[in-house]
Amino acid sequence: MLDARIRKQLGSGNGHTLTMDVTFRAGSGITVLFGSSGAGKTSILRAIAGILSPDEGRITLDETVFFDSSAGINLPMQQRRVGYVFQNHALFPHLTAEQNVMYGIRTHTRHSAHERARELLALLGIRKTAESYPHQLSGGEQQRVALARALATDPLIMLLDEPLSAVDIATRSRLGEEIAAVQQRTGIPFLYVTHSHNEAVRLGNTMIVVDEGRVVQEGPPLEIFNAPRTAPVARVVGAENVFVGKVLSHQPEDGITEIDLNSCRIEAPYNGLPIGNRVTIGIRSEDIIVCRERLTQTSARNVLPGVIRNILHDADKTELIVGCGVDFKVSVTQAAVRALSLEAGSPVYLLIKARALHLLA
Amino acid sequence: MIWPTLRLSLLVVSIATILISVAGTALGFLLAKRQFRGKDLLDAILTLPMVLPPTVTGYYLILLLGRRGLLGKPLYDLTGWTVAFTWIAAVIASTVIALPLMIKSARAAIESVNEDYEIASRIMGKSEFETFFRITLPLAGRGILAGIVLSFARAFGEFGATLMLAGNIPGKTQTMPLAIYEAVVSGEDERAKWLALILTGISVTVVYLTNRLSRPKKG
Repeated sequence: MLDARIRKQLGSGNGHTLTMDVTFRAGSGITVLFGSSGAGKTSILRAIAGILSPDEGRITLDETVFFDSSAGINLPMQQRRVGYVFQNHALFPHLTAEQNVMYGIRTHTRHSAHERARELLALLGIRKTAESYPHQLSGGEQQRVALARALATDPLIMLLDEPLSAVDIATRSRLGEEIAAVQQRTGIPFLYVTHSHNEAVRLGNTMIVVDEGRVVQEGPPLEIFNAPRTAPVARVVGAENVFVGKVLSHQPEDGITEIDLNSCRIEAPYNGLPIGNRVTIGIRSEDIIVCRERLTQTSARNVLPGVIRNILHDADKTELIVGCGVDFKVSVTQAAVRALSLEAGSPVYLLIKARALHLLA
Repeated sequence: MIWPTLRLSLLVVSIATILISVAGTALGFLLAKRQFRGKDLLDAILTLPMVLPPTVTGYYLILLLGRRGLLGKPLYDLTGWTVAFTWIAAVIASTVIALPLMIKSARAAIESVNEDYEIASRIMGKSEFETFFRITLPLAGRGILAGIVLSFARAFGEFGATLMLAGNIPGKTQTMPLAIYEAVVSGEDERAKWLALILTGISVTVVYLTNRLSRPKKG
């Protein structure tokens, strides 16, 4: 269990300063740190790794105290036993893939270090790259080497800073699954920084939303994306409703694919993916129409009954959180709220065009 | 009569280059990586020998190391020996004159190494010391080597400060540049020509070979 309370004045390039002040815990599984760029996510990882010293706070991992300002403890980074995966890989350019992995192995004989490195490269399916230098590898291979290298130090926690952002889209989802599989196999807690909705819902067991140096909400990623608790959270997570569903059936002649979202059937544009495939679906909150009564004569392929659970007001927009078995956030104008006299508890119908559903990469 | 001069020059420049390489890299690292009070002042003082006329640097060295100098006097009182007018003085003079070049090159080379590599190494459990030798130095290697070559060439051609501190004693402190000066002044044209050609030849060869050897390997 990682327990962190971090306070730090951060200066940024444009002279704008940010006070990071976060308190959170991260247990087993993958914990996603989600937020827009400049929110302070990377600084949190750097503070945990010891690259950055907080002005004040306390960071512990199980029984080990990494940092404690009141006790004057600041464990040097080489003693923290964390694995760190950099956004740009940061593989040592003058060493081969295998030498990169061997660099951090904590064993005493050269032979066993060699064996362990081969084992880790095999675990990530890149054994054949052992003798290659980083510049000879593809982005995906480089990131796999970076993962193997971080795991080689037998870390007590893995810190991953947008590990898929420098990888091409085609490789991204497969590598994401591999990261999840490695986490499960090793049982090491992962703290995973991203601003991708798809990565957050596919990989995250829990999610911590960071905005302007603060933790604004914690919980399961799907719940936060579709039912943000406050207007600032809604702003950080963006307009997208996110669902992980399964492909149920195709009607290519109608241009329709049926998708199962938590036992709620929904029609999406035809995508031709194999039946049973897991897909991440996005529906933008402004693409959903709210009605007080059930419309029958409509081109919208999805009409879902639900109940308003919450209404979030921000300076320039209003979002309804509507429970329909799964939660949706729906962006409306203040005028519509008044005209339909919408309030928490009001029963409503959501109209969603099939075309408004899109696959998230 | 050329060989003793050449031999002395090579001895002086070899020792000076070794001293410069080690001290210059260490000081370059200090300036690149550490924040401390008076860093800018230290940087300015270390750069002085590059901007002052070598005779002035030599004069300061006399004030410091001469028989009545700040350090030289206690040393002379204690041991009856002074460094002035010995071949060691020539080593000191050329080391001090060429050191700023090495410091600047090493600092630039070390600063050019992406810090993430060093951080990655530290996180992987390596000390700062091990990180320097296994990551920073190999990655900064070409810049540091270029600094060593430049310093060698500068030290090899050192004249003014050497003359001030070590004098111009044939067979004892007379290095190649001093010998060339003396040959020209005393009208020994043939000797001056050969000395100049040899000095030029050695410098060109060293710079040329280093450039070739340090060319990046095609991977």
